[in-house]
This record gives sequence, C-alpha cells and structure tokens, in this order.
Amino acid sequence: MLQDILQIIVSGASIGATYGLVGLGVVFLWLTISRINFANISSAMLGAYLFYSFYTQLNLGFFISFVLSIAVIALYGLGLRAFIYEPIRKRGGGRLEFVVATLMLCTFWLNLIIVTYGALPKPFPPVFGGSQDFISLGGIRIPTLYLNIYLVIGILMVFIYFLLNKTLIGKSFRAAAQNREAAALMGIDVKVTTSLSFILATCVVGIAGILLAPIYFVSLELGGGSIGVKGFASAVLGGLTNPYGTILGGISLGLLENFSTLYISSTYRDIISFSVLVAVLILKPSGIFNWKSKKI
Amino acid sequence: MKLSKVLVVAIVLLIGVAAFGATIKVALVAPFTGLGSILGDYIKMGAQLALEEINAAGGINGDMLEMIVYDDAANPSTASSVIRRALFQDNVVAVFGPNMSSAVIGVHPLAQQAKVPMLVGATSPSFRYSVIPNDFLFRLRADDKVKVIQLVKYAVEVLGIEKPGIVYGSTDYCLAGLDVAKEEFPKYGIEIVAMEQIKEGDKDATGQLLKLKNAGFDGLIGLTHESEAAVTVNQLRQLQIDVPIIGFSAWGVPAFTDLAPEAAIGVYSVQGFNPVDPDPAVQAFVEAYKARWDGKEPSDPAQAYYDGMYLLADALRNVGTDGTKLAQYLANEANIVGVQGELKCDEHHNFTNVCLISQFDGKDWQIINKLY
Repeated sequence: MLQDILQIIVSGASIGATYGLVGLGVVFLWLTISRINFANISSAMLGAYLFYSFYTQLNLGFFISFVLSIAVIALYGLGLRAFIYEPIRKRGGGRLEFVVATLMLCTFWLNLIIVTYGALPKPFPPVFGGSQDFISLGGIRIPTLYLNIYLVIGILMVFIYFLLNKTLIGKSFRAAAQNREAAALMGIDVKVTTSLSFILATCVVGIAGILLAPIYFVSLELGGGSIGVKGFASAVLGGLTNPYGTILGGISLGLLENFSTLYISSTYRDIISFSVLVAVLILKPSGIFNWKSKKI
Repeated sequence: MKLSKVLVVAIVLLIGVAAFGATIKVALVAPFTGLGSILGDYIKMGAQLALEEINAAGGINGDMLEMIVYDDAANPSTASSVIRRALFQDNVVAVFGPNMSSAVIGVHPLAQQAKVPMLVGATSPSFRYSVIPNDFLFRLRADDKVKVIQLVKYAVEVLGIEKPGIVYGSTDYCLAGLDVAKEEFPKYGIEIVAMEQIKEGDKDATGQLLKLKNAGFDGLIGLTHESEAAVTVNQLRQLQIDVPIIGFSAWGVPAFTDLAPEAAIGVYSVQGFNPVDPDPAVQAFVEAYKARWDGKEPSDPAQAYYDGMYLLADALRNVGTDGTKLAQYLANEANIVGVQGELKCDEHHNFTNVCLISQFDGKDWQIINKLY
C-alpha cells in the first residue's frame, strides 16, 4: 500500500512538473506584458517535432539537436512578438485581440504539423532513457525517463533563478515585471525585457515539449488538448506570478490526478481534478501558495 | 483543412482507356487529411488495385469502371457533403466508405434515399443490420463485436485467464468493445475483477494499473486506441507486472508497436488482416499490391475495399447498375471468394467475420489462429 502511494507520487510529480513547465510559459508573459498566450502549448509541440527532425531525420546527435531546436523556438518567440503582439498593440488592440489571435495561431500550428508530418504519433528516440529502463529504490520503480525529467527541470529552475536574480538583464526583467512604467523611467530598456520574456516563455515550453515527447510521443497531443489546459491550471495554482509556485502547482495537479485515479476512479479523474481547480480559482485567486505580490 | 470542407476537391481517376462502352462510376470516400489520414491511402490503393485488375480483365461486360475519390477529412459532416455530391451530382452506382463509424451512422440514410449501395469498412457494431436496418448498407470486414467475442474466447480458453482486468478508452470504439466483453466473460463463468479507464491522450496509467494489480488480475484485456495501448504496455513493463496481454484491433497495428517496440513483445491482438498471413489469397493480394504501389505493404483495411470492389463487380455483372437490384443481389446472392476468404452477406449485413489472433515478436505479428 505504501509502495503504491510512493509509486504514484513519483509518476504524478514528474508528469506534474512538466505541466508546471508549460505553465511557466504562461507566467513569464503574464508578468511582463500582462497577456495570456493561448498558443503557449504550441511551443511544446514545435519543440518536440523540431527535435525529432534534427535528431531522428537528420541524425545530428542529442546536443546539437537540442540546442538547434531551442534556438529555433527562441526565434519563434521573437517572431511571436514582432508579428503578433506588436502589430496588435500598435493598432490599439488589447488583451482580447491577443487572446483571439493566439487561439487561432494554436490551431494554425496544429494543422501545419498535420500537413507536414502527418497525424500519426511518432516514437520519440530514447534519449532520456528507454521506455523500460528504471531504477529500483526500496521497492518503488523510478523510470530513468522521470529521473531525467527531474534533472532537466532542476537545472532549468537553477538557471532561471540565476538569470533573474544574479544578472543585470534578469534584474531589469524583474523590475519591469513589477512596474513597467517606473522601470522605463529608471532607464531600463523595456523592449529588451519584453523580448526576453517572449524568448523565455517559448523556450521553457519548448523544453517541456522535448521532455514530454517520450511520454506523449511526438504527437499532436503536445500541441493542443488537455496538456495546454493543465499548463494554465498550474500557472493559476501558482497564482500566475511566481515561477517556482507554478512548478509546485503543476506537481500538485499531477499528484491530484494520480491519487484520484488510485482512490476514487479513473473515469472521474478529470472531473475531480478540474472541479478542484475551479474551486481553487474561486476561493483563492492568488494561488494556493499565497504569493500575492508580483515578487519574482 | 477548412478549404477542403467548403471546396471539396474531387480527384477523378480515369483508369484505362475505354475505346468503346460506357463507364460505370463508383465513389470512394475516405480520410486523406485530418486524424485518420493514414487509412485513406490504404483504402484508395486497395480499391484502385481491384478496379484496375477488373478493367484489365475486360471490365463489366465491356464497360469500364471509373472511381471518383473524395476526402472526408475523417469528419462526419464533411463525409455527408461529399457523399451527397457523389450520390446526387455524380450519380455513382455505389459508394465505398466512409471508413469511420461515426460518419457511417451520420450518412447511411443518404444511401437509402438515393437507393445506392454503400459498402463500408467501418467496424462499430452499432450499425449492424439488426440495429439499423438499412437495406443499402453493407460492411466489408469483421465488426468489432465479432472481434471482441473471439478475443474473450481466446483469453479464457487458450491463455487461461481467470481474473481479467480491463483497460478501456472513452470513444465509441472502446465502449462498444467493453460492452461485448462485459457480456462475454460471464458466459464462461468468469468475473471481470477490475475495469479501468484510460482516456485518449492520457500518458500515465500507473494508477489504473496498480488498481488492476491490487484487484489481483491475471490477464490484461486492452480495449483502447494505439497511443494508450503503448502507454499501458510501457508502464506495465516498468511496474514489472507480468501477466498475459491481449488487445483489441488497435493493439495489433504498427501505430501501436512503433511507439512501444520492446514493451509490445509478447502482446496478443485480434486483427482483421495480416500481411504475413500464409494464406495464398492473402499472399497474392500482398504481392499485387506491392507491385502496383512501389513496394508498399498493405494494411487493414486495404483488403476490405479490394474485396468490396470485386463484390460490386460481381453484382454489376449479374444485375446491372440499378441500385435497388444491386443491393438485393449483394444481400441475398453475392458469394465470392476474396482476400478475406468466402464473402457472403450475413444477417448483420457483414460480408465476412474473419479475424486473426496474433502475437507480436518484436518485428512482425505471428499468426496463431485464424477464425472465420
């Protein structure tokens, strides 16, 4: 029984952490430009398909494929700013216009992938450990894949922490996030911080896509449907303002899902977890960890 | 995508040059875009191969067959508009497809209205003749009810499963299969110890599998689609739960084994068609198909539509192009031998009940049993 619980915690937390990573993309944009990007999850799909092309079709090796995929995704982030966000803003469009534009963009990417790669899920190369490799720890089995997910997310979080707290551009980013106008008056180049937030927002989700691909396969499910919604949910659980809270929010959601499966019913799993999410949103709009301010 | 719904592009294939004699038009409606697009090619290639063979052998008493191909984008509403066009503008003598059960349920009344036979490869038991008595609707491969009955029989009688645990998805395909399994197991005096749902798109089945394990199951019955099948077997292996696994037709295709090549070894599945089947009729078909389509290997449902074209040709030769007569002939008299063995319309309007029980060896599906 205890073994079952530990097993559930291991798998729930690792899938949940990737939901959190998807949520990070939402949070970064919300912090800096107060916009919700509904094509957030498309970056995950693009990341996975790009990696698949570089690694499997062009045989470029893991490191080069990974860096290239993320570089392309970073460019995509800049493009998102240049071709979607700025034109709408310049012509006086507001939040709603951005939401509608990105919603359409999400469908656009899905269909572009269907046309270029076909609709069938593709196997992802076992770069994070094979589907059946695992490490036994006192009776619970931790798939190597999940260990690597923890590892990459750990490294990524440390990197983000250093970027935001120890570098000049990170400090500017945080200043602009807390008060855009004041930061601009103090001589911080808000344009640069905005670009940085677009790059961060697309890249973390792109990395999430590559991490999720062994679990989700290289498939259209990475670019729509439930995982995008769960990313939003993680961001909301974290109060939409705190990157670390978002990861914790994602982990909570993953655990909630798995425990409802084990103790209540697999059929009602999504009904239960989403009821809880709506309840949290109504009762605690600032998130479950109570980070009220825009302190990051 | 959107454009194809509005401006359906019809590809007219003029096959063979008919120096004299009229052409007889048939329509083929299959998914070439959208989520079922992989099937469209198999369907078209199977049907076209048969059509070319028939024309090369002199057609229908000298008249040539011509096939108009439409894309239904795996979408019931698109299927409905292209079938209307085929029936009421092209005036075809028969329609092949759609291949999606939900689309068939939506469009079959059109065939009745136009009095034109509709031959489909969709497999849901929900439009059996006993449920939907449409005299113009025929099925070209074994339906899912037959397949699950055989699956249960094999699981109990050969694999010796006494405490089956079921994982199932949430689509009509999965739920129809589940209903049959719930009916069949008790017939052997066996109780299903646990039924757990894995929804389409779910990627973690740990909770479900642990529940099955705690219920003491001694065999896994898989009634899900391909991706979820891969998730399930991967995690079952990770958790080192060692029980025989037997799955529905989606568990017997490359779309599943490609995603879980190692974990799938040893999995049993009930299939409708297997290209390594030593049956001479199957091998002849596989050879002809490969020769015509640059070495590509056929997959279910190519053989169903190939057989369907021969069935229609037989009917046309005997009763001409009148839709009502064609439907009556297909229902009562048509009896030919095709790739799937003897083809004869039964009380469910199914031409065949052939299915195979096969086991995956890491590369191919080895046939263990062939049941008619």
